[in-house]
Amino acid sequence: MNGLNRNTLRFTYFFFITLISYRLAAQPDGEALFKTNCAVCHSTGDNKVIGPGLKGITGQREMDWLIKWTKSSQTLIKAGDAEAVRVFNENNKIVMPDQPLTDEEIIAVFHYVDEAAKKVAETPVVTPSVATESEQTGNNIRLPLIIILVVLFAFFLILNATRKKLKQAYLLKEGEQLPEPLSVKQACIKWIKGNKKLIAILIIIFAVWGSVKGWYTLADIGIQQGYEPDQPIKFSHKLHAGTNQIDCQYCHSSAAKGRNSGIPSANVCMNCHRFIQEGPTTGKEEIAKIYAALDYDPNTGTYGPNQKPIQWVQVHNLPDLAYFNHSQHVTVGKIACQTCHGPVEEMDVLYQYSPLTMGWCVDCHRNTEVKMEGNHYYDNYHKYLIDKEGAEAKLTVDKIGGLECARCHY
Amino acid sequence: MEKQYWKGLEELNNDPEFVRLKNNEFYELLPVKESDHKPETTRRDFLKYMGFGIAAASLAACEAPVKKAIPYLIKPEEITPGVPNYYASTFFDGYDYASILVKTREGRPIKVEGNELSSVNNTGTNARTQASILGLYDEGRIQNPLIKEKVSDWKTIDAEVTSKLTEIAAKQGNIRILSSTIISPSTKKVIADFTTKFPTTKHIQYDAISHFGMIKANKLTFGKAALPNYSFDKANCIVGFECDFIGNWISPVQYARQYAQTRKISSDKKNMSQHIQFESNLSLTGSNADIRYKIQVNEHGAALVALYNILASKAGAASLGTASTSVDQAIAKTAESLWGSRGKSLVVSGSNDVNHQVIVNGINQLLGNYGSTIDLSRQSNLRQGNDEEMNELMTELKEGKVAALIIYNSNPVYTLADGEAFAAALGKVELSVAIGTHKDETASRCQYLCPDHHYLESWNDAEPIAGHYSSCQPTIRPLYNTRQGQTSLLIWAGNATSDFHDYMQVNWSNLLSGSSKTWQNFIQDGVFEAPATAESVSFNDSELINAAIASLVKKQGAGLVLYEMTAMGNGIQANNPWLLELPDPITRLTWDNFFAVSIAYAKQQGLVQGNIIEVKSGNKTIKGPVLIQPGLANNTIAVSYGFGRTQAGKAGNGIGINSYPFAIFSEGTFQNLISGVEISKTIEDNYSFAGVQTHHTLMGRNHDILKETTLTEWIKDPASGNTYEEITTYQGKVRAAQADLWATPKQPGHDKPNHLWGMVIDLNACIGCGACVVACTAENNVPVVGKDEISRSREMHWMRIDRYYSSDADPKTNHDKKDYAAMEIPSDSPQVLFQPMMCQHCNHAPCETVCPVAATTHSSEGLNMMAYNRCVGTRYCENNCPYKVRRFNWFKYFDNDQFDYNMNNPVGKLQLNPDVIVRSRGVMEKCSLCVQRIQAGKLQAKKEGRPVEDGEIKTACAQACPTNAIVFGDYLNSESQASRMKDDPRSYVVLEHLNTQPNVYYQVKVRNV
Repeated sequence: MNGLNRNTLRFTYFFFITLISYRLAAQPDGEALFKTNCAVCHSTGDNKVIGPGLKGITGQREMDWLIKWTKSSQTLIKAGDAEAVRVFNENNKIVMPDQPLTDEEIIAVFHYVDEAAKKVAETPVVTPSVATESEQTGNNIRLPLIIILVVLFAFFLILNATRKKLKQAYLLKEGEQLPEPLSVKQACIKWIKGNKKLIAILIIIFAVWGSVKGWYTLADIGIQQGYEPDQPIKFSHKLHAGTNQIDCQYCHSSAAKGRNSGIPSANVCMNCHRFIQEGPTTGKEEIAKIYAALDYDPNTGTYGPNQKPIQWVQVHNLPDLAYFNHSQHVTVGKIACQTCHGPVEEMDVLYQYSPLTMGWCVDCHRNTEVKMEGNHYYDNYHKYLIDKEGAEAKLTVDKIGGLECARCHY
Repeated sequence: MEKQYWKGLEELNNDPEFVRLKNNEFYELLPVKESDHKPETTRRDFLKYMGFGIAAASLAACEAPVKKAIPYLIKPEEITPGVPNYYASTFFDGYDYASILVKTREGRPIKVEGNELSSVNNTGTNARTQASILGLYDEGRIQNPLIKEKVSDWKTIDAEVTSKLTEIAAKQGNIRILSSTIISPSTKKVIADFTTKFPTTKHIQYDAISHFGMIKANKLTFGKAALPNYSFDKANCIVGFECDFIGNWISPVQYARQYAQTRKISSDKKNMSQHIQFESNLSLTGSNADIRYKIQVNEHGAALVALYNILASKAGAASLGTASTSVDQAIAKTAESLWGSRGKSLVVSGSNDVNHQVIVNGINQLLGNYGSTIDLSRQSNLRQGNDEEMNELMTELKEGKVAALIIYNSNPVYTLADGEAFAAALGKVELSVAIGTHKDETASRCQYLCPDHHYLESWNDAEPIAGHYSSCQPTIRPLYNTRQGQTSLLIWAGNATSDFHDYMQVNWSNLLSGSSKTWQNFIQDGVFEAPATAESVSFNDSELINAAIASLVKKQGAGLVLYEMTAMGNGIQANNPWLLELPDPITRLTWDNFFAVSIAYAKQQGLVQGNIIEVKSGNKTIKGPVLIQPGLANNTIAVSYGFGRTQAGKAGNGIGINSYPFAIFSEGTFQNLISGVEISKTIEDNYSFAGVQTHHTLMGRNHDILKETTLTEWIKDPASGNTYEEITTYQGKVRAAQADLWATPKQPGHDKPNHLWGMVIDLNACIGCGACVVACTAENNVPVVGKDEISRSREMHWMRIDRYYSSDADPKTNHDKKDYAAMEIPSDSPQVLFQPMMCQHCNHAPCETVCPVAATTHSSEGLNMMAYNRCVGTRYCENNCPYKVRRFNWFKYFDNDQFDYNMNNPVGKLQLNPDVIVRSRGVMEKCSLCVQRIQAGKLQAKKEGRPVEDGEIKTACAQACPTNAIVFGDYLNSESQASRMKDDPRSYVVLEHLNTQPNVYYQVKVRNV
């Protein structure tokens, strides 16, 4: 019995757990639904995007009415609902599309709207100051070090003075003549003469260190790997390409067509930011800069006359003497953007991932296989190389002349 | 008999200076003297500069400058950064016409190409069309409207001009619009509307270089005051009298294209036209003729009458009185040739004398050429200037009868023989307005200066040949505060449509009605052909006899030929440094014009090259330097138009001599062939010209550079003239190129797996016009170096057109006979041969092996590559190049006040091709075979997953060539035109015996003698 009881208990336990978890899983995700279905036209605040802001909407209207409205606002209006007609007229008679959502899902969405509105009210304005923190830690390490050094130096001076005094006292005591006091220069020369080996070793060490350091310094001139300049707009690739999974070429569309990958023009930003007026990290501040550049009025949805171009700071600076064509690599070579630009989808602030040196280019051309299959341009080449190198050979870029000067320099 | 080739008199006479230059490794030795440029640098200065330089370099190395990237705010849909767009348009500046495609990058035009849809010029252009793009970026353009020299605004100008015009019209004062030829139907309508509004208006068209003699002759003989349209392509026999029809005459690009069609031969087409030229000056056309006879200026009329008489006797028509010339035999022979191909022949004369042109019409009528090679029903509109009306205006102005004068794209103060009188009379006009792009000699004397758009900023249309239209659209927003001339006229006339674009569109909706084409089609294609309307004209021979009598009057004294130089033309583009630096095809001089005389005449007059002479014609005396030019008739002085500008702009001011004052108004036209001139004074001087003819002399001579044959020989043997050198080896005599040090059976040379780029140049089609040189300059950011540098042999052109004279004299036999006198004859009347020369892209390149840093290497596609940033400037390659096609950057030619041309100002630099780097000081450069175009073409093919098609990639020179003499292509594609031409028995490589194995081939010149 006992065992059975235990089993029953177990069964009941699991049953409830499963049920609860099922309930939990079945609970519609209001946030996700809101973002996919509503955020294009509505915000959770009180600002108007296309439709009105939804802050406090559950307080103003009955949930039943909201469900009906969401499912088909036009049915409600045609039925002559006074409230619905008023809302419709107030919002310039823009028809809200019918949303194919269940009642539960709609309730979840409005639940999320309430939560989001509360959260905004609760969240204090946080200005993260990572930089200051790191500066402080830097100071924290440096300060005691300096103190220790000063103390040690003081000890050294005191000990040295004591040693001299003792030596004088000893000589006096022994009745020997005091050596003539040496000038600083003479003292130095004397010391050097006495420590030739040490000096020689020091010079050698210094010379080797200097040459190595100098060599690398010279080799690094003009290389800006890791260059991470501040941009006029705090655009985050991490948010756009990472979190939101926007394809690179949605914005950098000319990478497939031409030489430049192209910084998107502001009207491309506006494809989304006409609707998304507030971002998750910087709020309205940065998006407002796009509006300012275009002299865009969110209320009327029009561009004004006082447009000012956005002056981005170029991160990847290839010298003029090298010709690089994006479409050759993106469209023909089918190289992923990340191969050269690194994990852009993880970069909040974009930095130069690769050294962009000629050696780096050449290395890649030596190791990358050419996508010859299906491209009839390479038919002759393919045949030639198979004849020459064998069918198993790795047909890399350098084998089709990818290391020749005039491929990049003209 | 062996032919001897020579580049100039210096070589023929073995001038010690020429021999020194030819044999020396470099033109001059280091160190380079800079004292001519600036005070000498002292050692202290050097140390200072070096110290500063090192400091600056280390500082600069510490931190890279922050570069800004500024994208469009709202990107136009058709623009992709880095990808060019092409727009169809039309170039017409009152002188040259071409239907063109404008290449724009990121919204700025950078290159002009021919429009292949145009039946007038097709893909061809000339040097001036190619150079016209630089006019857009000319800092010397007027940038704001001016009232009496003071910067004003359009509103003020419009208000003042309109009120003054209304006032003048109210009191019945005469209003005159003076313009160069207008071929735009919409503009003509604008002027007609203006005339309706102000009925006292009269529109006068005036060409700087007049063709009114022909227009008037056609009026007299056919009753139609217009120029005919010629079809040189239908002619089997072409005879030119002082007529430079492939260089500068009416529509040179069109005629050159047609002409070349008759000159090209292949295994499928074994006939070519015969071209006979009678002239006193050596023109570009004359230098291309199969047979060229020298006649003096005062024989021009007599020669025409003599030709008429012979033909008349054959045709059974009446003779025009006895005419005898120094070339009677030649004329008889020519008449035979013409008569043999009557109905398929063409006689043209460049004289602007009505009488001469009446006789020419008579000749063509006898030969039955009207309706076949000459079409008067579809006339050419390219020259409409009416000299009589211009002269009448001059009289009116002098008498103070003109109240308002609007000068539209015309510069009479400079181009009129009585320019000074015109300038003085301009002061008497109540209202003077100039519409134009430059504050030139005329505009600066007008009260109101209304800057016009450059043609690349304008809307326009054109009707170069009746029924053949082309469109012009803006390719950039106006750079300065300018306004389209037509818009100004519309506003002043108070027209309801004040914008010319709208006006033109309305006009075109009428013109296009009934056609399947829309306005968009018209703008996109750039051309529109209306159906031809046949109009019959009948010949009236009553004028012939009077014309003959007038033509036979022979004035004594020297003759003066006023001609157009192929680069500068009439001088409207005088401020264009590309044109100034383009060597004249014949004299090979840059940055100058001169009085050219023949060797015999110079000897007779005691002239030495570089002397300054005063030439007197009537009451006009002009001073200028003397050039001794082979090929000129005796007793003749030739001087070009287009130079001696005083207010052209920075580059063009004060260069050369202005010869327009000689073009006096006589017998109803402005004359260009003047008899009875004299040299009134000779000043011994040593004026130095900046010539390039003896620079870069190829080693070796004989038949390894130039090869030619005759048509009859060629028909017998297609390889005739294509001889090669043989050397003796242990295996006996072999072709020099087969004795190879490099290629062994084990190592047969480098593989060319996918492409082998090459170029074939048909010497039979090359006319030497220089369009390719300017196209190359525009495409490859070639700098302008100026006269001083050119005289030091430091021109930077990547391609040159070598002009060789040849003569049948055999120096060996002559030396044997000790007959030095015989050597004089060839130099007096040489045959001319043009050879475009650029990097030959040798497969066994001598330059590559001597580069100590491997900066110049060979590609697997047959290109000789040049990596500028690897070059350390030893110039070994230049020395080792047998073709002398490498150029060294002696200076930094951009942002350098010593080279104050287009690359020294921010506007001029907008023209630079962004796909080609601008080279800096101390590196070598040369023709890359337009590798940027090859790469772009290959990339396009790769993106589309297909092989490169023949003709898809064209180098700038091949694309610009009006005669398609230059053909670029892939030799590995056996179907390509270049590949087929290369395998023709006529093809050869220059200096074959050196076994450099070039990828540039030439085809033997064939003369139809």
